[in-house]
Amino acid sequence: MSAPELVTVSVDGREVQVAPGTGLVETALAAGVEIPVFCYEPRLGPAVGACRMCLCEIEGMPKLQAACTLTATDGMVVHTAQTSEKAAEGQEATLEFILVNHPLDCPVCDKGGECPLQDLTFRWGPGNTRMTFPKRTYEKPIPVSPTIALDRERCILCYRCTRFSESVSEDGQLIARNRGAQSIIATFEDEPYRAPFSGNVIELCPVGALTSTQYRFEGRPWEIQNVPTVCGLCPVGCNIQATTREGKVKRILSRNHPEIDEGWLCDKGRFAFTHLYARDRIADPLLRVRRRGFEELSWDDALDAAEKLLREAEGRIVTALSGSETVEQAYALGRLLREGLGAHSALLPEETSPALDAFRLPLSAIRDAELVVVLGDEPPAERAPVVDLWLKAAERRGAGIERAGDALESCRRLADKRNVLGKRLRESDRAVLIWSGEEGAGGAHVAALARELGFGGKAGCGAFHLPSTPNGRGVADAWAAASDEEGPNPEPIGLLIVSGDEAASDPGVRALAEHAERVLVTSMFQGLAVGWADLVLPGTGYLERDGTYVNLEGRLQRLRRAVIPPAPDELAWVSKLAERFGVEVPPYASAVFAELSEKIHGGLAFGEVGEQAALGTRSEAPVAELPEKPEEGGDGLALVRYRALFSGPAVERVPELQFQRPEPEVELSAEDAEARGIASGETVTVSHDGTSLELRARISRELRKGVVRIAAEHAGELGGRVEVST
Amino acid sequence: MGIDEITLAHADERDLTKLAEYEEIGGYKALAKARKLKPEKIVEELLASNLRGRGGAGFPMGRKASFLAKGTGKPTYLCVNADESEPGTFKDREIMLRNPHRLIEGCLITAHGIESEHVFIYLRGEYRDVFEVMRRALEDARKAKLLGDVTIVLHRGAGAYICGEESALLESLEGRRGQPRPRPPFPAVSGLYGSPTLINNVQTVATVPVVIEKGGEWYAKIGPEPSPGTVVFSLSGNVVRPGNYELELGTPLRELIFDLGGGIPDGRELKAIIPGGSSTTVMTPDQLDTNLDFNSVAEAGSQLGAAAVIVIDDRACMVQLALRSSQFYMHESCGKCTPCREGTRWMVQLLAKLEEGRADQHELDLLLSVCDRMLGKCLCALGDFAAGPVVEYATRFREEFQRHIDEGGCPFGGESSLEGIYAPVEQHAHAASAEVTA
Amino acid sequence: MTELAGEIQKAAAQYPDSRSAVLPALRLAQEKHGGWLPPEALREVGDALGLTPAYCQAVASFYDMFQLQPVGRHLVEVCTNLSCALVGAQQVLEAFERELGIGPGETTEDGEFTLRAIECAGGCGKAVVVSVDEHYREPVRPEDVPEIVKELRGGD
Ligand SMILES: Cc1cc2nc3c(=O)[nH]c(=O)nc-3n(C[C@H](O)[C@H](O)[C@H](O)COP(=O)(O)O)c2cc1C
Ligand code: SF4
Ligand code: FES
Repeated sequence: MSAPELVTVSVDGREVQVAPGTGLVETALAAGVEIPVFCYEPRLGPAVGACRMCLCEIEGMPKLQAACTLTATDGMVVHTAQTSEKAAEGQEATLEFILVNHPLDCPVCDKGGECPLQDLTFRWGPGNTRMTFPKRTYEKPIPVSPTIALDRERCILCYRCTRFSESVSEDGQLIARNRGAQSIIATFEDEPYRAPFSGNVIELCPVGALTSTQYRFEGRPWEIQNVPTVCGLCPVGCNIQATTREGKVKRILSRNHPEIDEGWLCDKGRFAFTHLYARDRIADPLLRVRRRGFEELSWDDALDAAEKLLREAEGRIVTALSGSETVEQAYALGRLLREGLGAHSALLPEETSPALDAFRLPLSAIRDAELVVVLGDEPPAERAPVVDLWLKAAERRGAGIERAGDALESCRRLADKRNVLGKRLRESDRAVLIWSGEEGAGGAHVAALARELGFGGKAGCGAFHLPSTPNGRGVADAWAAASDEEGPNPEPIGLLIVSGDEAASDPGVRALAEHAERVLVTSMFQGLAVGWADLVLPGTGYLERDGTYVNLEGRLQRLRRAVIPPAPDELAWVSKLAERFGVEVPPYASAVFAELSEKIHGGLAFGEVGEQAALGTRSEAPVAELPEKPEEGGDGLALVRYRALFSGPAVERVPELQFQRPEPEVELSAEDAEARGIASGETVTVSHDGTSLELRARISRELRKGVVRIAAEHAGELGGRVEVST
Repeated sequence: MGIDEITLAHADERDLTKLAEYEEIGGYKALAKARKLKPEKIVEELLASNLRGRGGAGFPMGRKASFLAKGTGKPTYLCVNADESEPGTFKDREIMLRNPHRLIEGCLITAHGIESEHVFIYLRGEYRDVFEVMRRALEDARKAKLLGDVTIVLHRGAGAYICGEESALLESLEGRRGQPRPRPPFPAVSGLYGSPTLINNVQTVATVPVVIEKGGEWYAKIGPEPSPGTVVFSLSGNVVRPGNYELELGTPLRELIFDLGGGIPDGRELKAIIPGGSSTTVMTPDQLDTNLDFNSVAEAGSQLGAAAVIVIDDRACMVQLALRSSQFYMHESCGKCTPCREGTRWMVQLLAKLEEGRADQHELDLLLSVCDRMLGKCLCALGDFAAGPVVEYATRFREEFQRHIDEGGCPFGGESSLEGIYAPVEQHAHAASAEVTA
Repeated sequence: MTELAGEIQKAAAQYPDSRSAVLPALRLAQEKHGGWLPPEALREVGDALGLTPAYCQAVASFYDMFQLQPVGRHLVEVCTNLSCALVGAQQVLEAFERELGIGPGETTEDGEFTLRAIECAGGCGKAVVVSVDEHYREPVRPEDVPEIVKELRGGD
C-alpha cells in the first residue's frame, strides 16, 4: 500500500496537511485548535452529531456544521469558535441548552473537577442562567447495576453509553427510552445491566450521570493520584490507571493502548480491585502449631521457619507456580530454589510455547483481519475478554469470523491442503488464528498450524493462544532462565511450595499437597491457605507490585506499584532467604530485571519497557508437529468446562460483582436442544456415568452440534462426555 | 393554458381504486411507455419537467435522481415518503385513498428510471384506511403482472412525525428509533442499509406518470416557470369549504380561500394564513394576492412547504396558536440533538407563561432569543420548523403578544377559539416527571 | 415456534435485514396482547428477531402508537392540533371527557375506554377528527359524541 495523498485544510487561518478522510476534530487538533465535543467518540462508530457542541463555520456551507460529522477534504476552510462569531454563538447556544435542565449539583458530584461539561462551561459557557423554570426532575440516583449508578438529571443525552452498549460490546442492554425532552437512559424493565464490559459506560459518560458505586464520594480529583500500570487479572494485560487516595486503590480506569485494549476494560479488571481489602487478607506470616491451629509470627521468626522447612526437605522440593507472579518474582524464586537448593522441580501453571513468537501480532490485528478462525469451544470472552471486543469489531468491519470447534481436530483439518477454509487462510494476507480450546499444548498446536499455512512470511497473518493465567509465559521463561541445571521429580515430596492464590486454589495442587510432608503457601487470603499449609507467608496483588508481565501477545509490560502492600512483597523476603543459602538476589524488581534481561531480553533496561509497551519483533523457534489424532471417546455430548471470567479468588471477594457470576446453566446448540426437545430456560439433567446435575438449559447460537458448555463452578464432578435430558 | 387535475384526475367520476377503472382512463400506459425507454431517458424527462418535490423542500426530483451513486455494487432503493404528518396536510392520504394506482405506477416508472428493484412505501401508521386500499391495489397490480421484477413493500410507521424527515425515515425503516442521521453522507450516496436511495413524497411520485406520458417539456409549461405543475392544496381551518384542491402552482391565495374555499364562515374576519403547514411562517390578509408557488411565497417571506393552507379567523389568540404549535414540536422532537430537544421544551414553558399573563417583558425577548439559538443549529430541520414560525407570530402579532404582558392575561378573556386547547405532550404517562410545568 | 414468532418471521422475510421488521412485529405483538406491550411481549418480539428486549423497548417507546401501559378495549383519540383546534376540538374532547368521566390519557374504571388527545391526524379537511380504534370518524361535533360512546358501549 502506498501512502495516501495528503489534503490541505485551513483551520482558523492555520494550514495543516492530513490524510483525506481524517475527522475534522482531529484535523483541527493537528492545527493546534481544539474543537469542543461531547457526543463525539470515534471508538463508538460513525459520529452522530447529536450534542451540537462542535458547531463550526465551513466556507461554502451556509449553515453551521457539526465538525464531528465532517472529514477533511482538500482546500476546506474551517472557522471554529475561536475565530468565527457565528460559530461562537452556536457553541454558546448549545452550552446554554445543555445546562437548561442540568442540575448543576457539581459540589456533590463525583465527576466534579474531571468533568468535560464543567470544563467547557468554565471556558465557553454563559456566566449566568436565563432558565427560570423548574428543571426536569427524576428519581436519583438509581442503580443501573450493583456497580453503576445513574443520575438522569445530569444526563445530557449524548448517547455515548447506549452507543457503546449497542455497537461496541453489542450487549444491547443499555438503551434510550421515550422521545424528545422525555428521553431517558434505561435498561429493560430496570433490570441490572449485566454484561462483561458494562463499566466502560462510566468512563464514557462526559458528565456525572453514570458513576461507579465503588467510587461514589471516595475522593476528589485534587486528592488522588493516578498510577499507570497494567491489569493482572487475565492474559490480555489491559493498560490501566489505578486511582489511589491515602494509600488505598479507589478505582481502576482504562489507559488506552490502541494495540491491546483501545481503552476498554472488562468489569473484572475495573471492579475486582477491592479484593485487596478483603476481610480475610493476610498481613502477617502464619505458622501451623499442633492442635492450636495457626499462630501469627514475626517476619524474623517466619524466615527462620521457612529456612527450616527448606533445609529439612533436603532438596526434595516441588514448587507450584500461579502464573500471576511477576517475571522478577518467578526469577528470584527460581534462583533461590534451583541455585540455592537444587530444587528444579516445578509445577508450571500451564504450557506455553515460544514457537508462537514467529506469528506474533498486536491484538488490534484481529480487527484489521479479513478472516479470523477461532479454534476451540471455550468462549474467548471468559478467558481474555477484550479479545471478544476485537472479534466483534472485526465482524462489524465485514471480516469473516469462523468458529471452528474442537481446537486440535480443527488444526489438523485446516492443515490439510484440500480443506476449503484452510485454502482461504493460505491465500489471505490478513488472517488470524485464535486458540480458545482446552488447556495444554494449544500454543504449540496453533503455531504448528500457522507455520503450515505459511503465516510466518505474511506480516498481516498471525496466531494467538488464549492462556488461562495472566503471566504464565513470563513466569515460565523466568523460571527457566534461573538455572541451566535439571533435576528429577522428588518422590516422596519433602516440601511443596505453593506460590500465589491461583495455585493455592487449584485442585491439582491441593491433591499434590496430600503427598507432601510439608507445605509452604504464599497467599493473599486466609481462606486459601489455612487448613493445609504448615507455613503461610502473606502474598501481594498486582496493584501492589513493581515488575513486568508478559501478555498473550508475548508483549513485555510494566507493572507499577500503586499502593504499598500490608506485608513486604515476595521479592523482599525471597531475597533475604536466598542470602541464607548463599544466593544473591536483589530485593528490587529493577535490579532483578536487569540481571534477567541480560539473559532473555537482550539487555533491555527496566526503564525502557515503557508506559505503552511495544510488541517485540517476530522471532523463530522450533515448532513441534501436530500430534496424531487421539482416540475419540464414545457417544453423548462433549462437555466443555470453562473457567468463567467472573470467578476466582479475587472476584469471590467483591460483593458488587456477585451478580455477574455465571448462571447455573448448561449451553446447548439449537440442534441438540431440538433433538432432545429442550427449550431455553427449562431445567434439565446433565449426567455422566453415575454423577448427574440439575441445570437451566440455554440455547446458544454460537455453540456447535455435539458440544455442551458449563462454567466450571457449576459443573461439579462432571467431565468427558455427558447426556442431557429433561 | 388550463390543466385538469393530475394526481386526482377523474377521481370524482370513477372509483380509481379499481384497477380496471384506472386502466380505462389510460392508467399504466405511461409505465408501458417508460419500460420501452432507457432509464437515463426517464431521468432526463424528470429533469426537463422541473418537477419539484411536494414534500416540503421543493427540490427538483430529476436532480435528486441524477445524484444517485452508480456502480457501487449495492442495490439502489426507492423510498416513497407517505408519512404525511405535517399539521394541516392531508393531500397524500387523499391521493392514496382515491388514486392508489397512480402512486404505484409512479413507483414503477421511477424504479425503472433509477434501475431499482426495491421500493418501500413508508406509510404513516395512523393511516389504516389508506393501508387497506394500497394493499388491495398492490395485490391487483401484482396479479396483473404489472410489477415486473420490482417488489413494493408497504411499511407502516407507528406514530412519529420525525419519521417524515428523510434520514429518520430510513432509520425507522431499518428498525430503529426514528432519529435523523447527520448528512453528508446523503441518501443518494448512502441511504437505506448504506445503499444509494432516492426518497420522494407521494405526490411527487404520483406525478411521474403524466410527466412520462406527456413529456417533461409539456409539464414544464404548466404554471409558473420556476415551479411548474399542479399541487394538491390542503385547505383547512376557519373556511367554509375546507378540503383538497388540486390546482396549478401560482394560483393566488385569495382565489383558493375565497373563490374555492368560500371564504370565512360566520361572518368573521380573516386574521392570518399559514400557507404550507404549521412548519411554515404565518402570512397576513394583506398578502392575499400572493401567488401560491415556491418562489412567490418565499418572496412574501414564508414557505409553500407542503401546500397545507390553514385559515385563521379573528377569534384565534396568536399566543395560544404559537403555544399549541410549539407543544406539537416538543412532542415530536426526536430528542437526539440538544437545541431542539431542550429548546422546544423551553419555548413551551415561555409561551405558556406568556399566555397566562405571568411573563415579564424580558421573557418575550428571551423567547425570541431561544428561537434564534435553535435556528440553523439543529441536526435536522425540525428545530427550525419549531422556532421559525414562532418568531413570525411574535413579530407580526407583536402587539397582541405585548398585550398579554401589559394586561397580565389573555386579551381574549377566555373567548379565543383556541381557549384551553389540550396537547398530547401534557399526557405522557411515562416519564411523567419530565412534563412541562410553566 | 409460537404463532406470533411465525407471523413475525413472515413479516421479516419482506426485508433485506430482519431488524426492519421491528415495527410490524411490535404491532402484531400489541394486537395479540390486548392493545399494549407488556414486558413478555417485548421479549417475544426480541426472541423472534434476535434482538434484546431492551432494544425492542427502546424502539417501542419512541413511537406514539405503541402502548407500554394497559389501555381500554376502545381507544378514542381526538385530534387537537391547529386545524381541528380552530373549529372546536377542545369542545369535542370535553364532550368525551363528560361522557366517559375520564380525562385525556386516562382509562375508564371498567377498562372499556382509553381517551387520548393526539397530534394532527391528517384529516384537517373534515375537522374535528376523532380516531376510534384506529378508524377515523370525520368530522365530529360535540353533539355527536354521546351517540359514538353509546354505539361503542352497545356494539360488539
Ligand atoms: C421534521 C420533518 C418532517 C417531514 N415530514 C415529511 C412528510 O411527512 N412527508 C414528506 O413527503 N416529506 C416530509 N419531510 C421532507 C422530507 O425530509 C424530504 O425532503 C421529502 O420527503 C423529499 O421528497 P420530495 O423531494 O418529493 O418532496 C419532512 C422533513 C422534516 C425535516
Ligand atoms: S432537530 Fe429535533 S428532531 Fe431533528 S435531530 Fe434534533 S432533536 Fe431530533
Ligand atoms: S460532538 Fe459534534 S455534535 Fe456532539
